[in-house]
Amino acid sequence: MIVLGLLAGSVGLYAAGGVGSLLLWRWDTAATWVAGVTAAVAAVLGTGAALQVLLDGGGPSFAAAGPFPFASFVIRFDPLAALLVLVISLVTLAASIFSLSYLRDYAGRGIGVMGFFFNLFAASMVMVAVADNGFYFLLFWELMTLTSYFLVIFDQDRKAVDAGFLYFFITQSFSMLLMVAFLLLFMRTGSLDFAAFRAEKLPVWLASVIFLLTFFGFGAKAGMVPLHIWLPRAHPAAPSHASALMSGVMVKLGIYGIIRVEVDFLGAGVAWWGWVVLAFGAASSVLGVLYALAEHDIKRLLAYHTVENIGIILMGTGAGMVGIATGKPLLASIGLLAAFYHTLNHSVFKGLLFLGAGAVTFSIQTRDMTQMGGLARGMPWTACCFLVGALSIAAIPPLNGFVSEWFTYQALFAAGLGPDVASRLFGPLAAVMLAITGALALMCFVKATGIMFCGAARGQPAAEAQEVPVPMLAGTVLLAGLCVVLGLGAPSIAPVLSRAAGTLLKSGPVPVAAGMLVFPGDPHRAVLSTPLMALLLLGLLALPLLIALVHRGHRVAPRIVPEAWASGYDHNAQMTVSATGFVEPPGFMFSGLYRLRTIQGPVADVLDGSVDVSTKAAAIVEPVWDRTMVRIATRGVQFLGQYLQLMEGGNLRVYCLYILAALGVVLMMVEG
Amino acid sequence: MTVHAALQYGMVVVQGLVGTQAALLFGLAVAQAVLLLLAAPLYSGISRVLRAKFHSRQGPGIWQDYRDLVKLLNRREVIPAKAGLAFRATPYVVLVAMLLVAMSIPAVTDRSPVAATGDLITIIYLFAMARFFYALAGIDSDSMFAGVGASRETTMGVLNEPVMVLSLFTVALMAGSTDLGTVAATIRAGTMPSYAATLMAMLAFGFAVFVEMGKLPFDLVEAEQELQEGPITEYSGRALGLVKWGMALKQIVALSLFIGVFLPFGSAVSLTWLALGVGTVVLLVKLLVAFVAIAFVENTMARNQFLDVSRITFIGAGAAALAFALSLAGV
Repeated sequence: MIVLGLLAGSVGLYAAGGVGSLLLWRWDTAATWVAGVTAAVAAVLGTGAALQVLLDGGGPSFAAAGPFPFASFVIRFDPLAALLVLVISLVTLAASIFSLSYLRDYAGRGIGVMGFFFNLFAASMVMVAVADNGFYFLLFWELMTLTSYFLVIFDQDRKAVDAGFLYFFITQSFSMLLMVAFLLLFMRTGSLDFAAFRAEKLPVWLASVIFLLTFFGFGAKAGMVPLHIWLPRAHPAAPSHASALMSGVMVKLGIYGIIRVEVDFLGAGVAWWGWVVLAFGAASSVLGVLYALAEHDIKRLLAYHTVENIGIILMGTGAGMVGIATGKPLLASIGLLAAFYHTLNHSVFKGLLFLGAGAVTFSIQTRDMTQMGGLARGMPWTACCFLVGALSIAAIPPLNGFVSEWFTYQALFAAGLGPDVASRLFGPLAAVMLAITGALALMCFVKATGIMFCGAARGQPAAEAQEVPVPMLAGTVLLAGLCVVLGLGAPSIAPVLSRAAGTLLKSGPVPVAAGMLVFPGDPHRAVLSTPLMALLLLGLLALPLLIALVHRGHRVAPRIVPEAWASGYDHNAQMTVSATGFVEPPGFMFSGLYRLRTIQGPVADVLDGSVDVSTKAAAIVEPVWDRTMVRIATRGVQFLGQYLQLMEGGNLRVYCLYILAALGVVLMMVEG
Repeated sequence: MTVHAALQYGMVVVQGLVGTQAALLFGLAVAQAVLLLLAAPLYSGISRVLRAKFHSRQGPGIWQDYRDLVKLLNRREVIPAKAGLAFRATPYVVLVAMLLVAMSIPAVTDRSPVAATGDLITIIYLFAMARFFYALAGIDSDSMFAGVGASRETTMGVLNEPVMVLSLFTVALMAGSTDLGTVAATIRAGTMPSYAATLMAMLAFGFAVFVEMGKLPFDLVEAEQELQEGPITEYSGRALGLVKWGMALKQIVALSLFIGVFLPFGSAVSLTWLALGVGTVVLLVKLLVAFVAIAFVENTMARNQFLDVSRITFIGAGAAALAFALSLAGV
């Protein structure tokens, strides 16, 4: 019960803080603090509730009648929901602390309104995760879309409004699929409660229809290829702390929906479902990172990496679903564990990277990487945190991104052990996709970190960059610390997530850790110890340090020369490698896939065009509407009014007659 | 002092993990890492001499790289003003990552001395760790040659890592474990279900290791001819010595990984002094043979344009795919 109290407190605080912020819209500073502090406290409460449920291995539920006869208000706080609440709360905590100083940039532009939408956005996401009734789920789902839409269009410039429209258009049209799927389930079960959905045994064809509807419906929100086109436009348009929440957390609710419906409701009983999920995951991961490579805008680059990481999570989910369908509990558990772990990890490092990008934007007022460079000198803390995030997302051991990708590899390996040919073929091929993704992500983040923070500054603002205020650093450092904890703490965290997967599969947990080791269900298959690795890496540092110390080289301080050697020419910043030049080789080698992108461009253009056409059409239609329908209606009303005036003679006796006539009519109706 | 304490703590932890034998294994792991570290300049020296012989030159002698290292380590560094922490830290990071790989791979023995970091995925990503910092240092040094070298280094990773993953996955699937020690033991015991697939995977992984070692025609990252040694252009003095040593270590570690997994014949099975001694000698001899073979290949190759390299690495990708197909067919 205390868990539900914490949860209710968390949601209530978000809402109260949001409303408070709206009421204080005249006073920017007050609104910032009210929204930020309430969100941070609410996030702490949410974290506490979620941790409690995850550690207990199960949570309470709550049901109330609610105002609508067809849907009762049901809350169910199971470990899967708790994982999502944890993800939401952790990123919201960092983002709201970050916002305390970050919003200074938005002074005078409606900070109170932003705080309202930000807090409501967080609250609606929590409610989506815990709602256990189709109607309320969709209600909060729409609220989540709506609040985030207002955050996307906050800048009010043409680009943001267009991005917002595209976002709204795509997510709305695909949430139709969800409504259809829920209605199909409703027709079948006669209830909108998820409990009824769970209990229902569907025929395979209907289950497959619902699978396809929900997979694409939720997939559009998750941003998987090819439904991702809104994502790299919408996420960067929002303010950075909201981008962190959208890119780090909101897309995970798409993943949540896929796991909830496909695994929890439908029982993932058909093998090809898993393969479809795995195939879309593999395509998303490779294409997402390839498109990220070509970006100069740091926030768009990060948004494309969200597409990539959603792909990696879907690969784990797909492998798990195949495991369920083919009756391999180990594969099922490890696949879901990998998906859960990467969901948690991605939100932490993506939140971190977006906050880092926000700090840079705050400091030098541009998102264009070609104008950065050498920022580490002015902003050492931000640079270090960004580096931690970059290492995590590039899956460098022993940080968190590596651990979850290791589990994903292990799930694909378990799939590859067969015995059916499809598993033996597709499992290892997906692992190769993951390897390509990993190597490309490494390249992309060497580029991002290097071009932004290393070397010489490319421009005056970059050269004069200052470190950001303490609250912003605090938010960033918090997430960077979590990256390390989630990596080194794998032996304690993996069993908790394994138990969450076991609860969902109703099969009990698979052992994944012993002492300081983690292993994929079977220690003979592979073992990994990130804490030991960290100790060894630190310990081995003694060798090169010793080598350096016994020689004389260190006794003289290094001589600093003003410029790098340029074959005798004058060195200038134009000579050094640019963001474009750095990624030219893969651009050449994968030119086929980039051609795909330019073809895909027109698709987006068509959508853009349709947005234009529809607004223009609205502009044309409105006068026509005005001339025809509205005028006829007004004329008709006026005409009618003139005749009605005849009835109102002002004579009291005539009115009495009306009343008597009316009474007679009523009496006749009652008799009849 | 703290480093020493950490090492000791690590040893206690390892002991607690698997039992008393682990202490011996841990000692072996450290010894193996130090052995490879100390032997690295010898083998790079041998490579230089062999290359000279192919050019009909006398060559500098096989101990030249030790002399070079000592000289460099004793000299003062020159650092560009714009270079930052990444540039300064990278020599150490590369060495540490490669030393950890050296501790974790089956080389002297037919099992991983530290199994907890001896998984094939972990090993591949430890190589990636070195690559990340090496490339980042290239950009950080503010030299245009280093920047292009950094771009090439990461590109080579994109082309090479999938080949490594697929070829190792193929043999690991046949051995039923991603632990490299188990794979090596299975190959040694001759219980692989498909010899053809194992052989093909060996060729593919050998190719990938050759590329990883940066031998001709894949010396594109540190191309002396057009990039003035790529990412290490701006290193000098002590840092240059450490980077050079790190690169030599990376070569010998990658090759030991190949030998340890695919040619584990003659490596120590038990942890007796005799077996370990024999295992060490056998490893050093196998490394020598491999370096001589590589010298034949690299000195008879022509350099290629960098952008064409993806066409050549497709050979490796094709071989790995073939190995995988063979293992699927169970031939």
